[in-house]
Amino acid sequence: MTDHKAFPTQEIGSLPKFSWRTKPFRQQPLEEGDIGVARAWGRRLGVKNLELLLRLLKKRSEFTDEEKRRIVEFSMLFAIAMQEKAGGHLDEPGLDLVWSGEQARTEMYETPVSNIQGFEFLGRVRSFDNKYWREASVRQKPAYLRDYHFEEFLYTKGHTSRRAKIPVTDAITIVAWSDHYYYTRRWRKRSLPPAAKRFSARREMTLELAGVIRRVVRDLIRRGAREIQLDSPAATQYQTVEDAKLVAEAFNETTRGLDATFSLHSCFPPKYGYGVLFPHLLEAKNCSRFSFEYANRDSYAAGLDGGRRVGYEDLKLFRGYGYEKQLGVGVVHVHTDRLPTVGAVRDRILYAQKVTDLPPENIFVNPDCGLRTRKPEVAYAMLGLVAAGAEEAREALGGN
Amino acid sequence: MQRSLNFDFVSDGLLTMHWQDILRPFTTRVKGVKKGAMVRWFNTNTFYFTPVVAGELLSDGTAVSRTLDPSLVRSGAITKVVLPDPLTFVELAENSCYTSREGLIFAYCDNVLRPEVEHLSKMGIEYVQFSAPAVVARFRGEPLPRAELEQAGEGLRTVLKGVKVKSGYHTFFGDAAPYLPALLDLIPTDDFGFDFTETDPASLGSGEGLIAGVADSRSSYVESPGELAQRMGGLGERFRRITLAPSCDLQYVPRSVADSKLRNLATARLRLTGK
Repeated sequence: MTDHKAFPTQEIGSLPKFSWRTKPFRQQPLEEGDIGVARAWGRRLGVKNLELLLRLLKKRSEFTDEEKRRIVEFSMLFAIAMQEKAGGHLDEPGLDLVWSGEQARTEMYETPVSNIQGFEFLGRVRSFDNKYWREASVRQKPAYLRDYHFEEFLYTKGHTSRRAKIPVTDAITIVAWSDHYYYTRRWRKRSLPPAAKRFSARREMTLELAGVIRRVVRDLIRRGAREIQLDSPAATQYQTVEDAKLVAEAFNETTRGLDATFSLHSCFPPKYGYGVLFPHLLEAKNCSRFSFEYANRDSYAAGLDGGRRVGYEDLKLFRGYGYEKQLGVGVVHVHTDRLPTVGAVRDRILYAQKVTDLPPENIFVNPDCGLRTRKPEVAYAMLGLVAAGAEEAREALGGN
Repeated sequence: MQRSLNFDFVSDGLLTMHWQDILRPFTTRVKGVKKGAMVRWFNTNTFYFTPVVAGELLSDGTAVSRTLDPSLVRSGAITKVVLPDPLTFVELAENSCYTSREGLIFAYCDNVLRPEVEHLSKMGIEYVQFSAPAVVARFRGEPLPRAELEQAGEGLRTVLKGVKVKSGYHTFFGDAAPYLPALLDLIPTDDFGFDFTETDPASLGSGEGLIAGVADSRSSYVESPGELAQRMGGLGERFRRITLAPSCDLQYVPRSVADSKLRNLATARLRLTGK
C-alpha cells in the first residue's frame, strides 16, 4: 500500500496519561489540580463534550466501573486530539496515522498478558531508571481468551477523521519479557547445550503465542482494522542469527493469511545497532513498513551530511539489501525533554530519504518510540516537531 | 537481607537512584565523559546511557562513592562495590578522544579505576568486583583478542597495586571456556567469577578463588538449596576458596524472586560447609 503524500506522519507508541486518567484506577482521589489540567488541555485540544468529563471528574473518588470506562474514553479522545492538532500553526497540522495512544491499556505488555490464558504475574522488574514492568511467568500453553484491543480500536476509528492504526505487541516481545517456566521445563531434559535448550524453549513459546496473537489481529481486521503495527521492542534482544530469523518467522506466523497493511516497530538495539537483524528480518514478507528508532543516536545539529546524521547510519542496511517498501523513521528522541530544532528534524527526514533512495511517500515519520515517559507538554511539542519537520522536508523537496 | 544471611561481603545492590545502571557514575561524574545514547544492555530488557569519551578521562576518585548511600558506607554496612571492568567499559563506550582501544583501556584503569578504588578502600570498602560481561558476551560473535585481555590485566595490576582491597573478576552472559586458562593467568584479581548457566563448571580447571554463579539470575525459577549445591560438583576440590553467587545481577527477576534466590544460596552454603 502506498501513501501518495510525501513523508506521511504517525505516532509510533504510547502517549502520556494525565493524572485524571491514572488516579481513579489507583484508588487515589482527584484534586482540583487534576481537574484543572483536564479543563486546560481539553480546551486547548478542543475536546468535544468536555463539560461531561469535568462533571464526572468532580466526583473525585470511588468511581464506578462504568465511570472509569468513560474516563478512559475521554483519555483516548485527548490522545487522538493531540495527534490531530500537533503543530497547530502549520498549513496541515496533525499526523496522518493516529491511534488512542495506549490510553486504554495498562501498558504494552501487561494488557495482552492479562488477556491471554496461561500467564501468572510474578512482580515488577526494572527496565531502566525508574521504569518497571510487571513480569509474568508462562505456566501453561498460552491460549486465546478475548480480542483485547478491539474496543479501543473501534473507539479510535469512530472518533478520528484520519487513518486509524492499531499497535499490537508481538510474540517476540511478550516472550522476551516473560519468564519461560512452562517451556523451560518442557525442554530441560533434552540433551542439548544450555543455549540451544533456551532457544528451543523460546522458539516454541514464540510461535505458539504468535498463533494466539494472530487470532487477535484477525478479529481486528474483521472489525475494519486496515493498518496494524506489530510492536517488537525486543526484536534485538537476543542478537543471534536464530533469533533474528525467529523475529521474521513470528511476524509471518502472526500475519499468515490475513489482509491488511502490516508494519513492525522496534527500538533501542544493543551498541552495534540493527545490523544484528539483517538480512533475516527482511524475510518478514508481509511487512510493509519497518519503523525503527534512530534519533536517540543522532546529533542535534541541522545538516545532511553523514557526520551530523550519524544516528541514521543503519538505514543504509535497507538500501544495501535492496529493500523497496516503506520505512518508519524515528526523528525525535523520546527519552529526554530536550527538543530538537525543526531544521534538525527536517534534515533527519531528508537524510533518511537520501540514503535509502526510497520515494518520499514511502518514508513515514514518527517519534523514535512511545512518548509515555514524557510530560504531556513535551510529548505534544514532540508530535508538533514531527509534523513540522515533515512539512519543511516536503517544502525542501518541492524546492528542488 | 545480605547481612541477615551472613554474606561475607555486602553490596548496595545498585539500588540508589543515582546508580541506575552500572556505567552511570562514570557517564555522569567523570571528566571527559558525556552521557550518550540509550542502548540495550547486552541481551536483556535493560538499558544504559553510552559513556561518550570526548576528552581525557579524569576522576577525582569520588564518582562511585557519591553514588552509594552515604549512611550505608559510613556505618560499614556496605563492604563490596561492583564496577565495570576495563574491557566492558571500552566495549560499550563511544571513543572520540583516544587513538586506540588500548589507550582507552589504560586511561580508564589509570585515571578512573585507580583513584576510585583507592578512595573506596580508604572509605572502608573491602571487596571490589569487576563485572566483565563484554569479555564473554561478544557482539557479532567476534572473539576477544588475547592482547586486550593482556592490556586489561596490566591495567588492573596498576589499579590494585598497594590498595588494601580484595578483588574479583566476574564474567557473565557468555561462555568463558574459550578464554581459559588465559583469563586466570592474565587478570590479577583474587577471585574469578563465572555464570554457570553459560560456562560449564567442568571447563574451569583449578585455582585459588572462585565465584560460582550457580543461581540463575535470568530465570524466575527458584532453585532449591539442594540443586544449587549439586551445581558445585567437585569444584570444592579444585579451588581453595569458593563464593556461592547468582550468575549475574539479580535485577532481571522480581525482587521477591531475587530474595528467595539469596536465601537459598545461604542455605546451600550451610549444606556444603556447615556454616
